[in-house]
Amino acid sequence: MSGAPAIPVCVLTGFLGSGKTTMLGHLLRQPEFSRTAVIINEFGEIGLDHELIEASEDSVIALTTGCLCCKVRTDLVETLQDLLRRRDAGAFPQKFDRVVIETSGLADPAPILHALMTDVGLAGRLALDGVVTAVDAVTGEATLEREAISRKQVAVADRIVLSKLDLTQGLAPALASRLAALNSAAPTLRAVHGRIEAASLFGAAPRDAATGAHDVGSWLAQASGPAHDHHDAEIKTYTVVRVAPIRAVALTLFLEALAEHCGADLLRLKGIVNIAESPDRPAVIHGVQHVFHAPAWLERWPSADRASRMVFITRRIPRRWVEALLDAIGAEVAGVIGR
Amino acid sequence: MSGAPLDLACELLAASLEAWRVAGRVEPTADGAIAIRATRQIRIEPAPNNSTFRWMVAIEGRRRPAISLLAVLRQVRQALDPDHAATSVRIAVAPLLPS
Repeated sequence: MSGAPAIPVCVLTGFLGSGKTTMLGHLLRQPEFSRTAVIINEFGEIGLDHELIEASEDSVIALTTGCLCCKVRTDLVETLQDLLRRRDAGAFPQKFDRVVIETSGLADPAPILHALMTDVGLAGRLALDGVVTAVDAVTGEATLEREAISRKQVAVADRIVLSKLDLTQGLAPALASRLAALNSAAPTLRAVHGRIEAASLFGAAPRDAATGAHDVGSWLAQASGPAHDHHDAEIKTYTVVRVAPIRAVALTLFLEALAEHCGADLLRLKGIVNIAESPDRPAVIHGVQHVFHAPAWLERWPSADRASRMVFITRRIPRRWVEALLDAIGAEVAGVIGR
Repeated sequence: MSGAPLDLACELLAASLEAWRVAGRVEPTADGAIAIRATRQIRIEPAPNNSTFRWMVAIEGRRRPAISLLAVLRQVRQALDPDHAATSVRIAVAPLLPS
């Protein structure tokens, strides 16, 4: 463990043909991306996407052995560990200070996020910076209707980027409403001919004091507004707000229960929590399915609002159950420990 | 002593049946317990004050203790939704509170 700040890792996902590679190509030409290591996962015997990226050969790695989400424990983790070893050994002309993983269009992002969040060899060296999901403005609505994996890619996003808007008469209301239903918490950005400002895409996840800047407001996006539900066929987004502080042990039990009973149906959970034992330093929580990132502790509250706010993106998990669970566990813990 | 008020436990169990898509009714009983009438009959009551446990769960009359509401929930789900495969939470190593 070097003690240096963790290197941010961005996962760039989106269904086949959604414009990920074009967008990545443009991003890598921007000066702030000059020190970026890129891992491109292609599905098929011969990878092409990495050929389309103009960047230093050393900094782009193509994984063509299969879909990343299926072989994540071996291919991705080993690749990242190797990258870090080479970085430590000074094998790159410039040390990279960011990693971008472009998934295959068919990849489920969840196992990739799990690996980044839990692998012991990577912990402390790399930190998940966020998930950026590209959506084709022309075919996106049909793809979302047809392909469950594309809905999941949108549901776990921290940023959604609409591509190919130049080929349409603007954003179709049906697609806009579908995206809002799947993930109202993620800001929707627009790429023009594949171009988008890097600054608007990255730094999505808040980090703790050790790793630098944070932007909880945009990360939680609409979480600070009135609680609301959006409905897709199966996926719901809602925000649970609690004014009273939550005890650390109650939060742990709550997360355990969510994982035990919801499993893969808890697509994403992110939130800022007022922990009773740490009133001045809120905890930032972040989970994907049954895997939860270690809480990040902010130095201070980002605003005067000290309510706990947790954004849930779920498949078939009623809000009523989540709220009842949190309240009952909180009451039980308070009853045992004493108020 | 359970620690959690009975009405919150009752609401949690009712919401749980809905979440698990299990048909049934959850209601408080006159003697301070919770009755679940579904494919199996379940009675949940606070454990005696001198008990290590907080709850007693009787499924079709067979009584088992439970250390917490989460343990109650686990027993009820196993009884009413046996096909559910529980997953364990994984949290990256970190202190429970900031240092």
